[in-house]
Amino acid sequence: MSGAVTWLRRNLFRSPVDAVVTVIAAVVAGWVLWRTLNFVFVTGRWEIIRVNLRLMLIGRFPEAHELRIAVTVVSLSAWGGLLAGIVRARQVKAGRVDAGDTKFGVRRVADLAERFWIPLLLVVLLLALAGTVGPVIVAVLSVVAAVIGRLIGPVIGRLELPAIGRTVLVTVLLAIPVILYFYVVTAVGFDDWGGFMLNLFLAACSIILCYPIGVLLALGRRSTLPLVRVVCTVFIEIIRGAPLFVLLLFANVALGFFVPESLVPSTSTRAIVVFTLFTAAYMAEIIRGGLQSVPSGQFEAAKALGLSPVRQTFLIVLPQAIRNVIPAQIGQLISLFKDTALAGVAMGSFELLRVSQAITQQDDFAGQGLIGETLAFGAVMFWAISYTMSRESQRFETRLGVGVR
Amino acid sequence: MSDAMTDGTTDGGGAPDATVFADATQVAGTGDVMIEVESVDKFFDDFQALKDIDVKVGRQEVVVVIGPSGSGKSTLIRCINRLEEHDAGRIVVDGVELSNDVRNIQEIRRETGMVFQQFNLFPHLSVLDNITLAPRNVRKMPKAEAEKLGMELLERVRIPEQAKKYPGQLSGGQQQRVAIARSLAMKPKVMLFDEPTSALDPEMINEVLDTMKDLAREGMTMIVVTHEMGFAREVADRVVFMADGQIVEVGTPEHFFTNPQEDRTKLFLSQILD
Repeated sequence: MSGAVTWLRRNLFRSPVDAVVTVIAAVVAGWVLWRTLNFVFVTGRWEIIRVNLRLMLIGRFPEAHELRIAVTVVSLSAWGGLLAGIVRARQVKAGRVDAGDTKFGVRRVADLAERFWIPLLLVVLLLALAGTVGPVIVAVLSVVAAVIGRLIGPVIGRLELPAIGRTVLVTVLLAIPVILYFYVVTAVGFDDWGGFMLNLFLAACSIILCYPIGVLLALGRRSTLPLVRVVCTVFIEIIRGAPLFVLLLFANVALGFFVPESLVPSTSTRAIVVFTLFTAAYMAEIIRGGLQSVPSGQFEAAKALGLSPVRQTFLIVLPQAIRNVIPAQIGQLISLFKDTALAGVAMGSFELLRVSQAITQQDDFAGQGLIGETLAFGAVMFWAISYTMSRESQRFETRLGVGVR
Repeated sequence: MSDAMTDGTTDGGGAPDATVFADATQVAGTGDVMIEVESVDKFFDDFQALKDIDVKVGRQEVVVVIGPSGSGKSTLIRCINRLEEHDAGRIVVDGVELSNDVRNIQEIRRETGMVFQQFNLFPHLSVLDNITLAPRNVRKMPKAEAEKLGMELLERVRIPEQAKKYPGQLSGGQQQRVAIARSLAMKPKVMLFDEPTSALDPEMINEVLDTMKDLAREGMTMIVVTHEMGFAREVADRVVFMADGQIVEVGTPEHFFTNPQEDRTKLFLSQILD
């Protein structure tokens, strides 16, 4: 008891000023906490979320084809588990990690729970709100599929494959998400996707596409060929000089003036193009910073060994450059993920933010000031994913041993 | 005089008896020339780093280059594998002239190993991967063969147990030995050493020098820029003294350390040997 008192004295009430600051801060914090809890548990009218959960998650995706989403989610879980297992087995084989770290057991489950408790909690909340059996079955199957994938992965990862076998394996693994995409999109066109699923999809596509473009732009900006350098620099500076919102509006409205109507791609495709190019320009500058952080001795050693310029770049310099700027890159990707919310307002995509606004206009809920509830709920979903990305990036960074020279 | 020294001069047969060389183009050993540097100038903007340099290095010869800092000794060996481009003159390595032709540059780099003051190991690759990278990518050696070679080289520099570690986990002396092994993996005909022990703690200098002595004994052609006078005395066939971008004096180690001719050399030796 006296320990606590001493602690309070030392940390919160050391001087009269400290005491005043502590009291004021406590009052403000208490008030905010009380208001928040009051909103969540008393005054908040969450009926609107429960009724519109489907719209918020998948938009106006036809009910007849919902099964395809379920199949995709379960398949992606299996794929993710498989990939994690293969990567892990290869790392263990290369002696880069200790095999004991991933022994299945209480500690491993606790570790996973600690890493992913926020998205897991979100899923549980969504399942509870949905209140039907279907989604629960999908969730359970997903977990089972991920575990099975994770168990099969190491078996594949330990195989001694010839070069051709490795190529086939990589191709198959890369093809799975593409096949799943076509499996869904052939039934329901891109522009009928919506809700949080659309946000996730826009972000995933843009992240995958912006990365190689960003790397090439960064290398291009440092190129010794003047034409390449000028083109890359101009592109980067123009894109970085324009607000994302304006670029989205431009892609939505102005594209029609320049390109024949029939050739204008769907809204979501245009959104992906804009997000990709925008983020690629920022990525290029981040990666260029990383390239500059690699000491010139690394180039010299690579040259002295007789490596070609392409190999110098891709085997020696780029891997180090990318590692050195992981936090900035992840920050940019998180930013991209949140920016997908702009697609609704700028281009009319039926993504989460637009759904959150639209449902407050429904007959049952119009004029009741429920925008606070819908926005808060949307924000929580964005936050859960963004925060998890951020934490996983920190873990990733530690494991790569950034700063170990 | 050490065994290595005796071997170096007697094996050669055609070695000149004179202990003073008229200039640096007279090679010890067989007289078979491996590296030829002819009238080379090098400028950094207005500063002339190399002034009309003429040097030849014989096959299996060990040439130690010494001189005060800023004398152009590092620049000279960096010109030989085109880390710096010379502005005038000719450089020929094993019959291939260094020109702007990228193929010639690549060929010379394949035949020439270089060890740096700061090691310059690749921090993102394991020790073994550091060594196998160039043989696999440049010589197109299969992975298994490259790893076997890598382990042999690690045995040779006496640190096979470090193969799976990363450079950051090694001591300076160990890192420099890995760097030597990495260069040797390309089976070079010439090794260039750019102050290989200058960044090391004193207690680690000998382990690196011993590795270099082994190499010299095995008949590697070497140019070594160093401040280690003991090494020069023991291993060098010839010592080249440079100052202000010029070669001031050339001689066998005995001549050089017991009877230097030039005032500049005497001054430098008195400073460094105190």
